[in-house]
Amino acid sequence: MNRFVTYFLFANLSIIAALVFLYPHLMISPGHLLKGHRSFEKNCFTCHFPFFGTSYKQCISCHKVENIGVLTSKGVPFVEKKTKSPFHQKLLGKTCVSCHSDHSGVAKYRIEEPFSHQLLDDTTRNQCITCHQRPNDSLHQKSTDQCTLCHGLTKWKPAQFKHDQLSTTQREQCTKCHKSKIPADSIHKQTSDKCGLCHTVTKWKPATFDHERSFSFDKEHHVKCALCHPNNDYKSYTCYDCHEHSRGKIRQEHLEEGIRDFERCVLCHRNANKDEAEWLWKSGRWREGLSGSIQHPANQGDLQAQPTNRSKEHKEDDD
Amino acid sequence: MRNSIFYVEVLPFLTRFAILIGATILGDVILHSFSLVWVGRYMGIPGTILIVLSLIYSLKKRKIIPYGKPQILLKIHELFTWLGALMIFIHSGIHFNTILPWLASIAMVINVISGLVGQYLLGRSRRHLASLRKQYQLDGMAKNEIEKELFWDAVTYDLMVQWRTVHFPISYAFAILTLGHIVSVFLFWEWK
Repeated sequence: MNRFVTYFLFANLSIIAALVFLYPHLMISPGHLLKGHRSFEKNCFTCHFPFFGTSYKQCISCHKVENIGVLTSKGVPFVEKKTKSPFHQKLLGKTCVSCHSDHSGVAKYRIEEPFSHQLLDDTTRNQCITCHQRPNDSLHQKSTDQCTLCHGLTKWKPAQFKHDQLSTTQREQCTKCHKSKIPADSIHKQTSDKCGLCHTVTKWKPATFDHERSFSFDKEHHVKCALCHPNNDYKSYTCYDCHEHSRGKIRQEHLEEGIRDFERCVLCHRNANKDEAEWLWKSGRWREGLSGSIQHPANQGDLQAQPTNRSKEHKEDDD
Repeated sequence: MRNSIFYVEVLPFLTRFAILIGATILGDVILHSFSLVWVGRYMGIPGTILIVLSLIYSLKKRKIIPYGKPQILLKIHELFTWLGALMIFIHSGIHFNTILPWLASIAMVINVISGLVGQYLLGRSRRHLASLRKQYQLDGMAKNEIEKELFWDAVTYDLMVQWRTVHFPISYAFAILTLGHIVSVFLFWEWK
């Protein structure tokens, strides 16, 4: 390389090197410092330890932990508090830079969230109300202080209301909270307020109600629910007391065919078609209703006991 | 028209540079679109490594290392410097916060332009020296020997020698400014 070019090159580079030491805040600092730290801009080593970054010790030498959120670094009480309650005293970690950025150029590219609730000790983390305000609506006025039962630690929404926190009595009174949401269709118009019979507490849909799986309606059976389910009790049903379905007549007809267990009607009579009922009886397919492959009210949980008992009574009558 | 100097000499040169700038803008847009801006902070590292690896050609040319075919090493030099420059451009485009890295970036832009000029001059030298091939053939030289001889003739051609007097100082300036930037990052980085 030409000697003149070499000298020229290294003279320029030397000037640049000198400028780095004279004006580090312009030459190598990634943006201005926060307003209160501007006086340190020309001396990087006020905060930085060469090759090891910044230690929290440098920060707390001015910002006493017990005073953070209460007094300024000069010992003056805060006029406008940023949080309702000071919390730095309860932080688990001691890495100020996890949340705070001083250089404006670095701050805008931070990956981390500005604050993580994981940094708080367990007790403080569960006392949400000390920092956050409860929403002023009817739902939140009834809820407990444990926001985390429904809300996450990183975002307020989405939230999931957990019905577990309600008492058994409250949980059965769905319409006290959901009244305005009851659909105004023909099915729901006739139902009671025990939504839990068909719906779950996590989602409205899918609902378990599907009458076709128990009994198919036709034009002769398009009646009000209460006719077959007296007192709006959808856990049981009755086919009696309707024109020709008197208990005596039914009993007689079935005994003639050798059918002694005739109280659980829908095991065979899944619609108004008598031939199909006869076929189900003779083929033994009526048992599918017991196994669960065909859902039947008498086959659901605690309901099973009822028909059995009634069946027993009937046999005793026979004897 | 198609044989004019603009089409034959200038346009390919400008196209290569435009592709580099276009790829930089595209990379920057992609990182911003997918909220991957932080990736740009680290692209300077592989970019620098590629450029350092490309210098194997320079070592070969000075006969510091004996192995490797110079033609292939030159291709690697061109490819790695192009890719390395692209990564560093994306890295710089995302983080212009202070002067020293700015200077390093400007030095790199000049270096890339200088490299492309060198690439063009080398091609031109080769075309000028192509006539020598016949002469070598007449002299009864083997095919491999002719290729090797022509390559070194091309890189030592007078125009190339003059270009090198410009390219090297630019490269040194770029290297030293980059080194200053890297040292300052190591000095003040939060290693947590």
